Amino acid sequence: MKDDTLRTDGGTATITDRLRRNVEQMTIEDAGLYVVLLLAAGFYLVPIESGLVTSIKTGTAIVQTAPFAPPGPSGFTLAKWQAAVEALLRGMGNSMLYAVPATIISAFVGSITAYGLTIPDWKQSYKALVLALIIAGIFIPYQAVLVPLTQFWSQWAQLTDLLSFVWALGIPDDYVGIVELVVTHVAYGIPICTLLFRTYYKTMSEEMIESARLDGATLRRVYRRIVFPLSGPMFAVVLIYQFTQIWNDLLFTLVLVSTESSPAAPVVLILAGLGTSMEGQDFALRMAGAFFAALPTLAVYIFFGDEFAEGVAA
Amino acid sequence: MATLELDSITKTFQDGDDEIVAVDDISMSIDDGEFLVVVGPSGCGKSTTLRMIAGLETITSGTISLGDRVINDVPSQERDIAMVFQSYALYPHMTVRQNMSFGLEESTDLPDDEISRMVSETADLLDIPSLLDRKPSDLSGGQQQRVALGRAIVRDPEVFLMDEPLSNLDAKLRAQMRTELQRLQDDLGVTTVYVTHDQTEAMTMGDRIAILDGGELQQIATPLECYHEPANQFVASFLGEPSMNFFDVTLEGDRLVGDAFEYPVGAEIRDDVGDVTDLVLGIRPESVELVEAAGGDHDFEMTVDVVEPMGDENTLYLQFDPDADSEGAATLVATTDGLTPVSSGEAVVARIPEEAIHLFDRNTGEALHNRSMEEAAQQIDLS
Amino acid sequence: MSNFYQRVRRAINLSASDDQRVGDGDEGGRDAVRTDGGVVSEDSRNPGSEPGVLDRLAAGIDGRLGSDFLESSIFWIPPFLLMGLFVYGAVIWNFLISLTDYQRFANAPDYSNLDFEMYTRALADSGFIDAAVNTFILLVAFTAGTLAVGLILAILIDRGIRFENSFRTIYLLPMSLSFVVTAQFWLWIYNFNNGIANRVIGVFGLGPISWLGDQNIVLWAVIFALMWQFSGYAMVVYLAGLRAIPDEHYEAAKVDGASTLKMYWRVIIPQLKGATISAAVVLMVFGMKAFDFLYSLVGGYRPPNGADILATKMVREAYANLNWAYGAAIAIVLFAMALGVIGPYLVYEFRRNNL
Repeated sequence: MKDDTLRTDGGTATITDRLRRNVEQMTIEDAGLYVVLLLAAGFYLVPIESGLVTSIKTGTAIVQTAPFAPPGPSGFTLAKWQAAVEALLRGMGNSMLYAVPATIISAFVGSITAYGLTIPDWKQSYKALVLALIIAGIFIPYQAVLVPLTQFWSQWAQLTDLLSFVWALGIPDDYVGIVELVVTHVAYGIPICTLLFRTYYKTMSEEMIESARLDGATLRRVYRRIVFPLSGPMFAVVLIYQFTQIWNDLLFTLVLVSTESSPAAPVVLILAGLGTSMEGQDFALRMAGAFFAALPTLAVYIFFGDEFAEGVAA
Repeated sequence: MATLELDSITKTFQDGDDEIVAVDDISMSIDDGEFLVVVGPSGCGKSTTLRMIAGLETITSGTISLGDRVINDVPSQERDIAMVFQSYALYPHMTVRQNMSFGLEESTDLPDDEISRMVSETADLLDIPSLLDRKPSDLSGGQQQRVALGRAIVRDPEVFLMDEPLSNLDAKLRAQMRTELQRLQDDLGVTTVYVTHDQTEAMTMGDRIAILDGGELQQIATPLECYHEPANQFVASFLGEPSMNFFDVTLEGDRLVGDAFEYPVGAEIRDDVGDVTDLVLGIRPESVELVEAAGGDHDFEMTVDVVEPMGDENTLYLQFDPDADSEGAATLVATTDGLTPVSSGEAVVARIPEEAIHLFDRNTGEALHNRSMEEAAQQIDLS
Repeated sequence: MSNFYQRVRRAINLSASDDQRVGDGDEGGRDAVRTDGGVVSEDSRNPGSEPGVLDRLAAGIDGRLGSDFLESSIFWIPPFLLMGLFVYGAVIWNFLISLTDYQRFANAPDYSNLDFEMYTRALADSGFIDAAVNTFILLVAFTAGTLAVGLILAILIDRGIRFENSFRTIYLLPMSLSFVVTAQFWLWIYNFNNGIANRVIGVFGLGPISWLGDQNIVLWAVIFALMWQFSGYAMVVYLAGLRAIPDEHYEAAKVDGASTLKMYWRVIIPQLKGATISAAVVLMVFGMKAFDFLYSLVGGYRPPNGADILATKMVREAYANLNWAYGAAIAIVLFAMALGVIGPYLVYEFRRNNL
């Protein structure tokens, strides 16, 4: 490999590449670089690895083996996973119930908001003002809106009464919390989704949009036939980022659903209290639960890591 | 079909507290079926003018009308105008066929089979039927250019607007498309406004050219008129490569007195100049003749400073004073036959024929005396 | 006045163009495109109708704000209102509540008697002062530490190494996890008897330390865990910044004889100012949201002694102690802190026309 790279050196290689390869030639420094990188990788993986091995250990194995070492055959058990799945499965379903619709709706709403604030032709300074107000919304500490939010959902918007026909079907009215979570996450997701789509739409060819308008398309048709079909890559980024954020959020679920014993309790809420009892903490159960609850986001991250990286870097 | 009329069009932009005038009181009338080339250096307001015709920019004052209809406030999509952009602006997610149908689908109620018939006909006209099911990213620059043209043609608009459509092509393809565009425009007979910064395109393609500078219309006339009878010094310098020689001169009696030479002029020319004395003498490089020996007041003994052989012709940089430092000394550029052997340092005699000179008012730039086009034509006949 | 005439003229022009188009159609046109009347436009849908007041108003608004203003408003105004109500409406409402004495099980605050009592109460509350100080320490230490680690990782990864993508994926992995999940991991790492943290320092003959029990240490333990989770983010931002620096800058520095270290310090790092600012702003916001982590660490509203921050204190006062108005007042302080960080940042971006 190294020989190959060296041989191409004189050709089209850029100066930086050559420079970087000069570094590679210094084998000691080179090795040192990889050692540092591997150590760092270890640092990031150890807490996760240690959690994983602990989740499959028996109580005695936890005390007897090192926290990062895998259990011996005698110390191996899936009982904690079974217990965690039992405790969290309902929560997983509940989380899906609000995370999926809220993700899709907020991505779509963000897309049309960004479109209206980027592509059409109106005063740039007013656009920028509206955008500044929207983007500031990304950075609001949610604590600043919690008390009014509770007031709003409990006193003002009587969703429980409005949705009485749903409860008549035999669904527990605790599930009103799920509906509230969808609306809340959409409202607070608009800023980041708008910003992500805006950065994307800014790079779209102005001439292409002008051409479509000259071709007779209204703004609505331009969105439907040109901008929306071209938004695919950004939709992937936004959906993935937003899903991770909504799935992982604890604060809103705590305030809107409040108790982990509620039938509508999302998985994060149940997990936060899992494995804590009077006798002390059941770490194996906690680890198993943590992994189980993280499965959807882990899967998303492993399969769509690039989109996730793009979403956080924006 | 209809005449496109621009009447005192002005466009100003607000930049902070400053008001920038991009287009300043331009009036012109483009006849039905005419090919008008709008040309000028970058920032001269030519693209802004085109975009105002398209409805992509608002008009600060003045009116634009198409036929009898004032279109100032008609949205672009209702102006019956098609535009070809510099970047082609093809829709990347659509096939060529979809690109070409888009405008008809959006702006008319035509049935699908009618649209597809019109698309195929246009594709035939442009020789691109084989590309219809490909995406723009699979096409070469020249092919994309044709699709962009096709997209405009298929809509059968009142007016074509073209914003430097050839500037992204390589030189050879550009020359080829230049001819083809002219042929198409002849066949279709659609009024066309074509913006470019390239003077070759301006000279060769247009029925007339409109030359803009600093947001103002300098001259609108046929290419040859603009070349031989420029309205002012800017037009004279903008057209022609190498560009026209200019010398600051003062009219003293019957002589033009410059820093490096004196040049007697006849009564006819003095009449044209009137009582203006601060002048600029202009002479095109190809009008300068090299003669065997000095034989009159219009012949000057000069030294060749630099020779640029171009193949078919040589460009010579001549100096009036052989001892002068080449920087800042009065230099006369002349083009001669490519086969005439001339070398740097050589002494030559250059003749500046009186019938070929132009005189401009040094303060306003306005042309006071131009060679007449008939004379220019005669001279070509004689030689 | 002249504006009014312009509008009238525009309205007349519109109806004139109507007639024109209808006439065109009657003549029968020359070809298919034109027989249908050219383009379907709004005014041709109801030909002959006089332009109403609304039309003129619309033309006036568009004239002032740009030609697409009205047509585009349908896209962004509803979401903007929804978001505006939930963000700005709620913050203002929250401020109002903080001026009341709202507490316990009352259904709604009593807005008739507004004062700043809750703010004076906060200043007298040593718990509040501690939480504010902790919040400040956490924000500064967490942001600075995370940026430093992220920068080092980015520089190392940018040196044309192999398996670059794998390393990047690993470093960013914790960021995809919920605070609730990572809190479980760190709880186990910081465990007094079996945790890795004590095993590691045990190798050097130190400890064991009660990481989460010692008031002087717990905040730093939390900051360390947060750095673990977010340094990958800082790395991604810096990596994008590094990639944007032209190759010539490395070349020029090398030709000028700068050592590798000097090259980064004098030439490359100064160019990462933009990346640093935006990463720092985002990290501070994450830091302020550390509530989820602290809550999950103990499974309750009361974080370990010495690690209480404004975010946890606010939620505890409001939802555990039912001191709604007091919680709202703390929230306003937190909001003001956030505004102090992001306000200048947004103004800076706005001035640079970067929005």
